[in-house]
Amino acid sequence: MTLHPAAWMAWATCAGVVAFTTTDPFYLGVLVAIAWFVYATCRVPGPTARSFRVFAIGGLMAMAIRTALVFLGTVDASNVAFAALEGARLATLLIVFGTFNAVTDPFGVVRLAPRRFHEPALAAALALSIAPRTIATAGRVREAQQLRGIRTARWRGLPSLAVPVLESGMEEAVTLAESMDARGHGRGRRTRYRPAHWTPAGVAVVVAASAAAGVFLAAAWVGLGGLHPSTSPLTWPEATPWLIGVLLLLALPGIFGAFRDPVA
Amino acid sequence: MRRLRTVTLGLALLAPALLPAFVGVGNGAAVACAAEAAGEAHAALVVDTGSQTTTYCVALGAGTVSGLRLIQLASAQYGLSYHLGFGGQAVCQLQGVGPSGGDCFGDYPDYWGYWHGADGGWSWAGSGAASASVSDGDVEGWSWGPGDTGSTHPSPPDLGFDDVCDTPKPSASPPARPSPSAVPSPGAGSTAQSGSQASPDAAGPTPAGGVTSRSPVPKQPKQSPAADRTPTDPPSTGAIVRAVATSGGATPSGGPPMGAFAAAAAVAVLTAGGARTLRKRRKGESA
Repeated sequence: MTLHPAAWMAWATCAGVVAFTTTDPFYLGVLVAIAWFVYATCRVPGPTARSFRVFAIGGLMAMAIRTALVFLGTVDASNVAFAALEGARLATLLIVFGTFNAVTDPFGVVRLAPRRFHEPALAAALALSIAPRTIATAGRVREAQQLRGIRTARWRGLPSLAVPVLESGMEEAVTLAESMDARGHGRGRRTRYRPAHWTPAGVAVVVAASAAAGVFLAAAWVGLGGLHPSTSPLTWPEATPWLIGVLLLLALPGIFGAFRDPVA
Repeated sequence: MRRLRTVTLGLALLAPALLPAFVGVGNGAAVACAAEAAGEAHAALVVDTGSQTTTYCVALGAGTVSGLRLIQLASAQYGLSYHLGFGGQAVCQLQGVGPSGGDCFGDYPDYWGYWHGADGGWSWAGSGAASASVSDGDVEGWSWGPGDTGSTHPSPPDLGFDDVCDTPKPSASPPARPSPSAVPSPGAGSTAQSGSQASPDAAGPTPAGGVTSRSPVPKQPKQSPAADRTPTDPPSTGAIVRAVATSGGATPSGGPPMGAFAAAAAVAVLTAGGARTLRKRRKGESA
C-alpha cells in the first residue's frame, strides 16, 4: 500500500507548517522523531532513500552555523539559546523535507503537475525533485568512480564527483522536460500510465496532518501552549501535553507504513 | 550502515533510560522555582481598564521573568483573564477589555498601553512586554485608552510597589503572636515600635518575632491623582481593587512537567518503533 504523492506533499507541507510555528525544543524534538519514524516505516528502497540522512546532516550543519553566527555579535546565554532554537527549527524543516524525499518517488511528484500550468508546474516539479535526483546521481557516480579506482571521499577527489553529477543533472532535466512534452504536457490532452490512486489511508493522512497544522497555527495565532519559550530571560521550556498529542497525528503515515506487508 | 543501525538501536534503548534524567532535570528546575518562591520574589502588576484599576502582587517563579510572563503568572495566581495577539507577542485583551482577535490594534485608537513603574510614577515602555524583564520589586502597569505616546496615553493611577504588595505573604510570615513573651530580634525591634506601619522588609523571608507582620490594616492606596501627572491625563475615576489570589498562590511552573514527560515518551516510542521496523525490513531484504 503506497500513499498518493499528493498525500505525501500535504503531509510534508503540514509538518513544515507545524515546525514553522514553534521554537519549543520539545515540539521540535517530537517532530524530528516523527519524521524519523515515518522515514523508517515508509521509505522507498533505492538511491533516494539516502535523502533522509543527507538532509539530517544538512539540518545539523544549518543549526550549527545559525548558532555560530551569534559569536560575531554580543554573546550571552539568551542570544545563544535563541539562535540555537531558531536553528533547531530550521533543522527540523530540513529533516521533514528529507523524509518527504525519501518516502515518495520524486517522479511521482512530477507526474502531479497540472496540465493547465505547464511551464510553472514543470519548473516546480524540477525544483522539488532536484535534491533527491542529485543525491541519487551522486551515489551512482561515486560507485562508478570507485570501480575505476578513483577515490571521491577526499577533497582532491571532489571534481571527479561533482562534474559528472552536475552534468547528469543537466541532462536529466532536459530529458524530463522532453518526456513531459512527449506525454502531452501543455497540449491539453494526455494519458496517464498507471495513475496514482487515492486510498482511504491517503485521505486519512491528509486530514490528520491538516488538523495538526491547523491546531498549531491557531495556537500560534492566539498565543497558546508556549510555542516560543522565552529566551530573554532564559527559562526552562515547557510543553503542553495535548499539543504533543496533536503533534502525533503527523505520525499516522508511519503507523500505516509499519503494518504494511514488508515484501510488497 | 551497520554502524548507523547499531547507533539508532542504542539510542532507542537509551531513550527510556534517559527519561528519568530528563524528568530529574525538570523537577530540579521546579524545585529551584519553589525555593525562590519561598524567597518571596514579587512584582506588582497594575491593570487599569479606564473604569477600574486592579492590582496584583505576583509571585515570580524565576528570579526574572518577561512582561508577558508576568501577566501569565497573574492569570495563574489571581485568575486575571488575558488574550495575546500578533503571534503571542503582544497584549490584546486584559480583564475582557480589548479586541479578541489576533490584531491588538483592532479597537484603535484605544489599546493597552504598557508602563514601567518609576519612583511611584510611570514611565512609558519603550519596548514590548515580551522583551522586558521584570524582577523582584518591579512595578508594571497596563492602561486601556487612546494616545500613541507616554504623554498622551492615560497612565494607570500612581501606585508604588508597597501599595500593591504591602500585606505580608501568608506563606512567609507565621500568624502574629500577640503574646508578650515573643521576643523580637534586635533588628526587628525598632520597626516594631512603628506599629501598623508596614516596613519595606515586612515581606522579607525572616519570620523572626512575627512582630513586623502585625500590620492588620493594609495601607490604603493613594486615591488622589498625583501632581506629576500630565495635564492631558484624564483622572482615573475608577476604584482601585486589590486582586485576591484564587488558587491558593499556585507556584508558577509547579507540578510535574507533564509536557516534557509526554514529549520524551513520544520520542522514545517513535524512535523504538522506527528502529524496529527498519531492522525487520533489513532482515527481510537480506534473507
